[in-house]
Order: sequence, then structure tokens, then C-alpha cells
Amino acid sequence: MYLTLSWRNLWRNKKRTLIAAASVFLAVLVAVVMRSMQIGSYAYMISSSVKFYTGYMQVQGNGYWENRSLNNSITLSEKQRAEIAQIPHVTSVVPRLEAFSLVSFGRVTKVAQVTGVDPATENNMTELKKRLVQGRYLTESPGGVLIAQGLADLLHVSVGDSVVLYGQGYHGVIAAAMLPVAGIVKFPIARMNNTMVFLTLTNAQDIYSTDGRITSLAVMLDDVRNQTDVFNALRSLVCDRYTLMTWEEMMPDLVQGIALDNASGLIMLIILYLVIAFGVFGTVMMMTTERAKEFGVLISVGMKRKRLIWVTTLETIFLAFLGAVSGAVVSLAVITYFHYHPIPITGSAASMFELLGVRPIFYFSTDPGLLINQALVVLLITLATALYPLFFIKRLQPVQAMHG
Amino acid sequence: MKKSYLFLSWLMVFLIIAPAWSQSPKEIVRKANDLLRGESSVSEGTLTVVKPTWTRQISTKMWMLEPDYALILVTAPAKEKGTVTLKRKNELWNWIPAVRRVIKIPPSMMLQPWMGSDFSNDDLVRQSSIVDDYEHKLTGEEEIGGYSCYKIELTPKPEAGVVWGKIIMWVSKQGYFELKTDFYDEDGTLIKTLIGSEIKTMGGRTLPTHWEMIAVNKPGHKTVLDYRSIKFNVPLEPSFFSLQNMKRVR
Amino acid sequence: MILSLAWKNIWRNKKRSLIIIVATALGLWGSLLSGAIWMGWGESMVDTAISRDLAHIQIHKPGYAQNKEIINYIPDGFQILKETQNLPGIAAVSGRTLVEGMAASPTSTFGVKIVGIVPAQAKTVTDIYKRLIEGEYFPDGGGRNPVVIGRKLADRLGLKLHSKIVLSFQDLDGSLNYAAGKIVGIYKTESSLFDQSNVFMRQADLFRLLNTKPLIHEIAIRAESARIMPQVYAAVKANYPQLAVHSWKELAPEVAYTSAAMEAFTYIFIGIILFALLFGITNTMLMAVIERFRELGVLIAVGMKKGRVFTMILLETILLSITGGVAGIVIGAISIVYLAHAGIDLTALASGMETFGASTVLRPFLPLDMYIALPIMIVITASLSAVLPAWKVIHIQPSEAIRTY
Repeated sequence: MYLTLSWRNLWRNKKRTLIAAASVFLAVLVAVVMRSMQIGSYAYMISSSVKFYTGYMQVQGNGYWENRSLNNSITLSEKQRAEIAQIPHVTSVVPRLEAFSLVSFGRVTKVAQVTGVDPATENNMTELKKRLVQGRYLTESPGGVLIAQGLADLLHVSVGDSVVLYGQGYHGVIAAAMLPVAGIVKFPIARMNNTMVFLTLTNAQDIYSTDGRITSLAVMLDDVRNQTDVFNALRSLVCDRYTLMTWEEMMPDLVQGIALDNASGLIMLIILYLVIAFGVFGTVMMMTTERAKEFGVLISVGMKRKRLIWVTTLETIFLAFLGAVSGAVVSLAVITYFHYHPIPITGSAASMFELLGVRPIFYFSTDPGLLINQALVVLLITLATALYPLFFIKRLQPVQAMHG
Repeated sequence: MKKSYLFLSWLMVFLIIAPAWSQSPKEIVRKANDLLRGESSVSEGTLTVVKPTWTRQISTKMWMLEPDYALILVTAPAKEKGTVTLKRKNELWNWIPAVRRVIKIPPSMMLQPWMGSDFSNDDLVRQSSIVDDYEHKLTGEEEIGGYSCYKIELTPKPEAGVVWGKIIMWVSKQGYFELKTDFYDEDGTLIKTLIGSEIKTMGGRTLPTHWEMIAVNKPGHKTVLDYRSIKFNVPLEPSFFSLQNMKRVR
Repeated sequence: MILSLAWKNIWRNKKRSLIIIVATALGLWGSLLSGAIWMGWGESMVDTAISRDLAHIQIHKPGYAQNKEIINYIPDGFQILKETQNLPGIAAVSGRTLVEGMAASPTSTFGVKIVGIVPAQAKTVTDIYKRLIEGEYFPDGGGRNPVVIGRKLADRLGLKLHSKIVLSFQDLDGSLNYAAGKIVGIYKTESSLFDQSNVFMRQADLFRLLNTKPLIHEIAIRAESARIMPQVYAAVKANYPQLAVHSWKELAPEVAYTSAAMEAFTYIFIGIILFALLFGITNTMLMAVIERFRELGVLIAVGMKKGRVFTMILLETILLSITGGVAGIVIGAISIVYLAHAGIDLTALASGMETFGASTVLRPFLPLDMYIALPIMIVITASLSAVLPAWKVIHIQPSEAIRTY
């Protein structure tokens, strides 16, 4: 009974209803877009950082993180690797063999991080091929190494020269090899640009006598929000035979940055809610005052205040749902659009992004959770504003209202 | 007359520096230390690295000219045979026959273990002197492995660049064998122990030929050095320790 | 005439007008404050990196970045140090002697960078002395070779305050030196990488151990403010073409990246708030116009031109928003100044994070040009939001309006 009455009331004055619903609708839209951009930009910051080298998580030998010795390397069978790759949300698994070694050319010798990689999967994850500034990418045969540009400059080596790798293999065996430089790669981070050497995994396993072992398996995900699921699945697969490291553990500075960032992001979200709440409240207040005369008439012709309160509250609830649901639907469309057509960043900020080799864009998250959360928050805010008509009707003086 | 004067002055000196006729603890440490070294030496031995899950043996031949020069040739296993490490003062060089290259070990690699052992490259060049960098104090006499020993406590001099808080050394009264050495940190925690045993006569000297370095806080880790032969005071010139010679030694 | 009419109209219905004014003020206050928080955070992150180590500008010998050997010191370093001190726009300079070496304890050894400083001078450029969690920053009579190291390195070496630490490094001839130092202070910054690899010593001690004449590898310069940094940078670069001069943006592109991202985000966020405001005002004004249909219909019926009614509504909206806007800016500025002074403690919000030094306390900051740009944007927003309600008015049929409402 109340339901039909308030539903009819709503459509009696379409303009008013639409305006009020629009304010809720816009509140949802703004909150969702804002949060989507916040979460999206963290995800983007994380994904562009982990894509650099570490991956979202790594499977390592126990103790490898503290003591980077080949003696802490691990064997992962084809089957195990396939099982990891099949965990839902895992997009790629990237095996590596890392060894600190000397690289020598002519009279110059430098310390380098020599990394054996599978050329194809490595390129899928880190886009190593794109970093080539000279020469060709890694292939199984002919073999050879990729040298980071800064290191190549220090060694005065160019494509076609042969460098000596010298270090320690598995169980302390001497590892030494002379390999041609296939290509030179450039990294935006100086630390990497001055130390990295890449060769094929099979080649590295041969030189370092590791016999099919790897030091780490980097795991890439479709989205950072699935990290916990994948981590748990991975944990149950490898049990405690191996160590699992997440990007949070491998890059603590980034975590602290994002944690603080998120904290100030939340403050802003609260401010946005305040603005939204006031906007919606304003509309509801205006709507209620406009109807003062109507309420006055209804009460004086004998309608009980309690009933009237019920009807108007239901009206507000209808309005809130109408706005929130339509807001959620439209904002889904908006953030999906921006997810696939991210907003480019221009100006001096863009050059900073490019310096790091990161595409200068604002990235939007399409996490359904955030959509529901934001719509719910706005819904609650709107329902809270329903208290205004409640008190308004309770205190209404019918006679005065009809004349004013 | 002249002779007796000389004798007298020597006596005076001794009376001043050594309050009693007994040897100073420093002298005991010096003798134990000198027993293992000569002006020069050529030795052959086996280095065994013991880790909880694996062991590894390297046979070496070593030429030394105190204090600045050393050359170590790996004679086994086959894969590493012919590899040479050359120490000249503070510099380390490696000859790697597999790639026919001489490589100078840069300072940043000094911490890497030498040949996978518990010794780092840095240990090979580090020149802290157990005689000069410490104050020595005789604290008692104890029996180790059937030998009656002096127990000497070594405390580093304040400016000396040594990490230990103190070292306790047991040196046999007969023959000055360094039978046991404990290394402590500043809090008095035992960090590692060096044990010498299997006393044999080699190259005209009687000395311990089996040495074990045991890391106390890492169970299952030790490095063992066995001498097969050692010759002292062989004629060696600094020119022997050259980059060219690294490629030639056998 | 219309202006005063519009102004009078605004105060005729105080409740309605107040709602719009408060909404606008609140929105603007919110966007100002949150923009300032965002900016302040970006700034504090940059500040943290700058005052930990980077400073604004660094001078090296060309090639030092690639080859950090002790022989790559700045020729006439002390002369240049003295000259830069007197350059305009430079607040402080600090000369650093940098030696790559190793730090050893009985249990372990790690590669470190030994930084030789003059404590009084270093204090003016970086704030490591404020980050001590144990001990003191080179106290008088600190004994022989006092050393200040990071928490992380102390942990990895198993060393404590007053422990002995053995440092080894190559001198100019390439021979290795071993020196025992005494830990007089332990610091902790946000970056564990920095904490584990930087060991501080007094320059005088280092020169004595190296047995060398005084030499420096790095001159760290702090400009009087971040804003004039680019000019100072250009000036220093022009003054010393023979040396490698770098700004912190070049030295730490990842920090510059994050701060640039945040700044860009600030503008976007303010955009979003203004957008929300635009629709908020439009909605409320539309509601108000609908409520006033009868009144406006009467006005038109008695002969007021539609164009004038349009202008009146437009002016009403703009005046309302500007009143709200000015109020918002004033409250915003006051709260920013207050919070910048008091600081916002983020430790509670940033849960699960290690508590660390100054940067969890956020100091909002908004560049002056934003205070100018925002009112302009408000006027634009207000004018835009006024168009739709005013447009509605033009289409009023007076007879219908008077009858229906």
C-alpha cells in the first residue's frame, strides 16, 4: 500500500524526482570514478614496477633472498612449472638463473648481475626486446649475451665483441665462458643499466653447472587484486620446500610509498563523501521544503504523520536506489571505457614517467568490488539524508505550511 | 773483550724487555706463527669444503713469498685444473685456462668465497697480524690432544683493523704447535674455532698438517686443509709471481 | 540593476541560498584541502629523499657515476665547495668523501659506501642527524674513528651501539686499509637499502686513514627553496661545465616519477570535485527554478523580458557560487595553514606499515598559483552550472506556469 503510494508520488512530479535521482546518480559516478582511478593508479604503479624485474611474486630456494648463492637454487620440473602456470589469474611464469659474476673485456673487469632467461617468456613479462638499442635479441643459437648499456660503456664493448664471464657456479665450481655480445639493452634505472647481463637460461645453466636448476621463478598476474588467491594456491603447491616472496617483500620502499599514498587517498575519499553528502542533502532538503504546502494539506485532511513519514521515507529509498543503481551501471560503462582508453598524462609529469619507461597514463580499475562498495556508501549517505524529511514532517505546522 | 761487551749489551736488552727469563706470550705466538711460514715456501695440499648438503675437494699447489706474494695452482678436480690465483700485495688475479684469460678481482668481489670455500678472497689478502695487532697475555696452561699447552689470550690493539673481540690460543710447549684457536666477538660469543692436528715432519719441520676451521654458529659447515708436502725457504723471486708465470706454472 | 535584483533574490530565500553556498564552500574547501594533502604528500616524499641523501643538486667529476673509484675525486673540490657556498639561491653545501669499501663484524661482511663528512656541514644539507634511533651524531670526544651506521646494516652485521666495526677500503695507491671504528650512532630512514649501505665517518678521520690530502667526490647543494632549484641548477651547471652537475630528478628518477604522478593526480582530483560541484549546483538551482516557476511566470507575465530573467537567474547562480567559493577558499586556506603547522598523523591510516620518521606526518601544501587558478575555475564552473537552470526559465509559458504552480 505504502509502496504503491510513494511510487505514484514519485512519478507525479517527474522533474523533481529526476533531479533528485540525478544527484545520487552523479554522486555514485564521481565516487566510483575517483576510487577507480585511485585503485587503478596503485595497480598501475605496482604492475609497472613489478614488470620491471621482480614479478608479483617469486618462487625461490629457502634462504636465497638473504644469501644470493647458486647453492640456494631450486629445481622445478616441467610438470611443477605447468601446474603453477595453470593457477587461475597467473598470466606467465618466468624462470631465471641469477649469478653475480665478473664480466671482463680487454683490461676492464666489472661485477655484473648475470641472468639466464628464457628469451620468449622473459620478453613477454619485461619486454626486454624493446630495450634493445643495438644488435639483436637473445636466441638459443647462435647464443651470446645482452649487456646493459652502462656496463657496455664501462667495458668499452660493442656488438660482436666477445666478453668473458667469470664467477662461481653451483657448489663453488668455477664458472667461466667467453661469449659474443649479441645486443645492448638500455634500462632507465642506473643501477640496472650498470650491472645487467642476460643470456639464455640453458646457456647459463651450462656455464654455472647448475644442471637444470633456477634461482627464481617470477610469477605474473592479471591483476594485483588476485594476488592473495594466487599466493595461497602457490603456497599449497610448493608447501614449505621453497620460499615465496611477494613484491611487497622484494620492494619494501614501494609498499611504504603506496601505503602512505593510500592513506592520503582515503582522506580525500572522505572529503569527497562529505561533498557528496552535502550535495544530496541539499537536493533532498530543497525537495522537502518545496513540498511543505502539500504535506500541510495532507495532514490537515487527516493523514497520520506516521503514514506520511513512511511514504516519504520510502520515496527517498526509491530515489536512492534509482540513483545508485543507474549510477553504478553508468559508472561501470565509464570506468570500462577509461580502462581501455586510459587518460594520457601530459606536460612535465609525462617526461618523468617516460624517463622510467612507464607509459604516462591514468589507469582505471574495473574491480567490481569497488563499484559495489562506492554505490553502497552513496546509498547509505542518501538514506541518512532521509532523516531530514522525517524530522521536517514531525515538526510541521500544517496551517502555517499551507499559507507559507 | 769486544765479544763479551756485545754479549753484555744483549743481556741488558733482554733484562729490560723480558722481566723474567721465561718467554713472553708474544714470543710464543710469534714462534707458533713462524712455524707455518718461512721466508718462502712451496706446499701441496687439499682443501675440503664441508657443507650440510654437499662437500667439495680441491687439490692445490701453493708458492708463497712472505709477506706479499702467493700463487695457488688448482691441480684437481679435472674441470678446474690449471686455474691459478695470484696474490700480489693487495691485488688478486685469476688465470682461467678455459677461456685463456687473466682477470683481476675487483674490490667488490673480495667478499666472494674463494673456490666455494669458507674463505673469502678478502681472507687471502687481509693482512692482520696475529703477532703485531694484538696484546698477548698468558692465562694458564692446559692439555690439548695430549700436548701440554700455553693458553694465551689475545686482545686486539684499539686501532687495529680486526673484527675479533678476543682470541684464545693454545700453543704446545713442545714444538710451538698452534693446536686450537678460538675466535670471539666483542660480547664474548665464540664465533669460530681453528684446530690443528696430525703432527708430522715435513720439509724439515715438525708441524700440524691437518687444519679444520669450524663455524660455531653454522652447524655442518667447515673447511679442512690437509698438507701433503711443504718445503720452506726455497729460492723464490718476486718475479716468479708474475701474470706471465700464472699461465706457465705446473 | 539586474545585479542588485539578483542579489536581493538570493537573500529572499535564505535557506535555499545557504544550502548552495554551503555546498559550494564545502566542495571547494574539500578540493583545496585534499589537493593540498596530495601535494603535501608528494612534496614530503621528495623532501624525504632530498634530505636523506640527495640534496637538490650534486656535483661530481664526470664519469664518477660509472666508476666510483677513489681517484675520481673532484679536482679543486674544496675550492669549488667554497665558491658554490656563495652562489645566489644556495642555502647550504656539503662536501662528501666517498669510498666504496667493506664493513666487517665477527659474523659477517658487507659491501658499503663510506661517506666522509664534516658533521656540522652535513647537518645543513641532510637530516640523518635527526634520524638517529640510538646514540648520538658524532658527539664531541666520541673516541677514535666514530662511525654512524644504519639500523639495517647493524642488524646484518650483528652489531650494537658502541660496538667495534671494521672498515676496509682501498686508498689512492690501490692498497687495502683496515680500520677499526666505533659505532656512536645508529640511524633509520624509510629506505632500508640506504640504511644497509651507507656508513658515515668524519672526513678528518677518513683522510688520516687513507693517508691522503683532503679530497671530496661529491658536493651536495641545497637550494633556498625547491622553486628556485631549476635556476640554481642552471647557474651551477653553467659555472662548472667541466664537472658533472645533476639535479635530484636526474639522480632519482623513480622519486621524481612518483611525485610527478601525484601532482598530476591532484589536478585530476580537483577536476573531479569541481565536476561534482558543477552538477550539485546545477541540480539545486534547477530545483530552485522549478520551485519558483510561478514567481518567474508572474514576472514574465507582467512584462519582464525573457532575456533579463535569463540574465537574472544566471547572475543569481554565479553570485551564489562565488559567495560560496570565496568562503570555501578562505576556510580552505585557514585549514591548510593550520594543518601545515600541526601536521596530520597518518600512522593510524597507514596500518601494517613500519612506523618511521617524519614522513607519516603529512603537511598539506598548495602552491600559490592554485589559489589563483581555483577561483577562476570556480567562476567558470558556476557559469556553466547556471546555464541549464537559466535556459529552463526562457522556456516558461507564463500562463501555464501561473496556473500549474
